[in-house]
Amino acid sequence: MEKTCELNFEEPSFFKRIKSMLGVDFYRLFHTPLFYIFLAIAAIIPAIILGTSTMEGSEGIGYTSAWNIIAASKPLYVIESIGDYANMNMVFIFGGIMVSIFIGSDYRSGYVKQLFTTHAKKQDYMISKTITCAFSMACMCITYLLGGVVGGLFAGDSVSFALNGGEIFALVCAIIGKMIMSIGWAALYTFINVILRKFFGISIALSFFFGTGILIIGVAGVFDSLHIPNVLLNAFLYGSSVFACLDSGVFPLLAVLICLVVSVAWTVIYIVLGTTILSKSDVY
Amino acid sequence: MNAIEIRSLSKSFRGMYAVDHLNMTVPQGAIYGFIGENGSGKSTTEKLICGHLVADEGEIKLFGKSYTDPGVRTRVGALIENAGCFPNSSVYQNLKMQALNLNLKDPDGEIKRVLEIVRMEDSARIKFKSCSLGMKQRIGIAMALLGDPALLILDEPINGLDADGMRIMREILVDITQKYGCTVLISSHLLAELEKIATHYGIIRQGKMIAELSAKDMEKRAKVFVSLKTKDTNGALNILKKEFNNVRLEGEYLRVYDEESTEKIVEFLLKNGHIVSEIHKNKVGLEEYYIELMSKKEEN
Repeated sequence: MEKTCELNFEEPSFFKRIKSMLGVDFYRLFHTPLFYIFLAIAAIIPAIILGTSTMEGSEGIGYTSAWNIIAASKPLYVIESIGDYANMNMVFIFGGIMVSIFIGSDYRSGYVKQLFTTHAKKQDYMISKTITCAFSMACMCITYLLGGVVGGLFAGDSVSFALNGGEIFALVCAIIGKMIMSIGWAALYTFINVILRKFFGISIALSFFFGTGILIIGVAGVFDSLHIPNVLLNAFLYGSSVFACLDSGVFPLLAVLICLVVSVAWTVIYIVLGTTILSKSDVY
Repeated sequence: MNAIEIRSLSKSFRGMYAVDHLNMTVPQGAIYGFIGENGSGKSTTEKLICGHLVADEGEIKLFGKSYTDPGVRTRVGALIENAGCFPNSSVYQNLKMQALNLNLKDPDGEIKRVLEIVRMEDSARIKFKSCSLGMKQRIGIAMALLGDPALLILDEPINGLDADGMRIMREILVDITQKYGCTVLISSHLLAELEKIATHYGIIRQGKMIAELSAKDMEKRAKVFVSLKTKDTNGALNILKKEFNNVRLEGEYLRVYDEESTEKIVEFLLKNGHIVSEIHKNKVGLEEYYIELMSKKEEN
C-alpha cells in the first residue's frame, strides 16, 4: 500500500545548520590522516630548526632566545635573516596547504554536492570550513610549541630558554595572539579555495604564497624606505601575526586585542565575500 | 501538490543554452523518468534543482516552496553523476558524514536502515574506493536516502550496472516510493528499465521539454503492431500497403500497425504469394515512442 511522505519542512535555525556542517567537517578532520600529518609537520619543523642549530659547523640562525622559534623578539616586518622568519608564523604556511587539501578533497570527491544539496545557504560552508581550519591551525600552534621546546632542549647551551617574568607573559600573549590569528588565516584560505575551487594546484600555490607573507614583507620594505610607520601593516593578517611577539612595544594584552580585532574583521570580510561568490556562481 | 514545479527555467554556458525555458511538473509520489539524449540538459536541470548551478532565469518550486528554502532542501536526497564519497573513507564513514550533515538524531540507526534498503549491510567497513561500480551506485542511493527524503533526484543510477544490479536498483526504487512515499526524479538512457518503474515521463531535447505524460497516458497511446519478415520485403510492403493503412519498414522487418490479427496478415500475404518466415505481435513502448518523438522533432 502506498504511503504518502510526511511533508513537514521545518526550517533549521542558523545554529542548527552550522552545527550540522561542523559535525561533518570535524568528523572528517579527526577521521582522516591529513590533520595528524600536519600536526606532526608543525611539531617536527621547529624541533629540526632548533635541534640542528647546535650542530658542529652550523652558523646558527641568529636567535637570542630559544623562544624566538615561537615568536620574534620584535615585530620584524622586514626579514633580514632566516631567524627573523622561522617562528610560529610558519604554522600559517602549513595551514594554507592543509586547508587547500581539505577543501580541495570536498570538490574532487564530489562530496560538496551532498553539502550544497542539503545546505541551501552558502554561508554555512564558509563559516564551517573557517572554524574547522582555524581549529586545525590553533592545534598546529600547540604542536609547534611542543616541537620547539623539545628542539630547544636538544639545542642545549647554544640557545637559552631564560626569560624574565614580563617576557614570559609576553610569550604567552604572543602564542595566544598567533592562535587567534588562525581564524583570520583560515577565512582567507577558505576564501582562496572557494574562488579557485576548479583549480586545485593554483589554490594550493596561492595559499602557500599568502602564508609566507611575502606581500606584506614587500610592502614593509617599501614602507621602511619611505619612512612610513610599519605599525600600519598590523591591519593585515601577516602584519598582526608578526606583531604578536616577545616585545611588540605595547602592553602584551593590547597586542592580543589587536590580533583579535584584525582576525575577526578579516574573517567577516572573507566569509561575506566567499558567501557572495558562492551564491552567485555555480558550485562546481 | 506537485513535488517539483519548474517554469521557464534557463541555464546557459558560454552563450549556449543547456536548459532553455524549460517547464516541468513532477507530481508528489511519482517516479518520474527524465529522458533525453546526451547533452540534452537532464543533468543540468537536476543540478539546478539541487542548487548546484545558478539559473539564468526561471522559477523552481519544491513542494510549493522556493528551492532555496533550507527546510525543503534538507528533505532532498541526490545522486548526481557519482556518489560524492571520499574514496579513502569507509562506506560507514561516508554515510556517517552525511548523517551528521543532516543532523540526524540516531545516525547509526539510520545508516543501518539505509544499508539494509540497498542490501549492503555487510559492506559498511569497506573503503569506498574498493567498492564495485554497482556498490558505489547503491552507496550513492543510500546517501540520498538518509534522513527521510521527500524528494530523490537520481542521475543515471542504473548506468553501468549488470542485470542483477539493475534488478536490485529497480526493486529499491519501487520500495522507497511505496514504503516511504518518496517522490523520485530519475534520468536514464535505459528506457526499457525505466518503463518498468516510472509512473510519469518527461522527455527533454536541446534543453526544452518536448513531452510530459503519465505512464497511464503512455499506455493509452501504446499502439499494437505486428512485426514480420518475408523473403521479398519490398514486394510484401507494397502489397500490405494496399490492404492496411499503416505499414512501415523497420530494418528488415515490416510493421503493420493498428491490426492485431496475425492470421489475417499471414493469409493476405500468402494469397499474394509471400511466405512469412517470422511474425510477432508487439506494442509501441517507451523506446518506440521516444524514437518517434525524436524523429518527428528532427523533421520539424
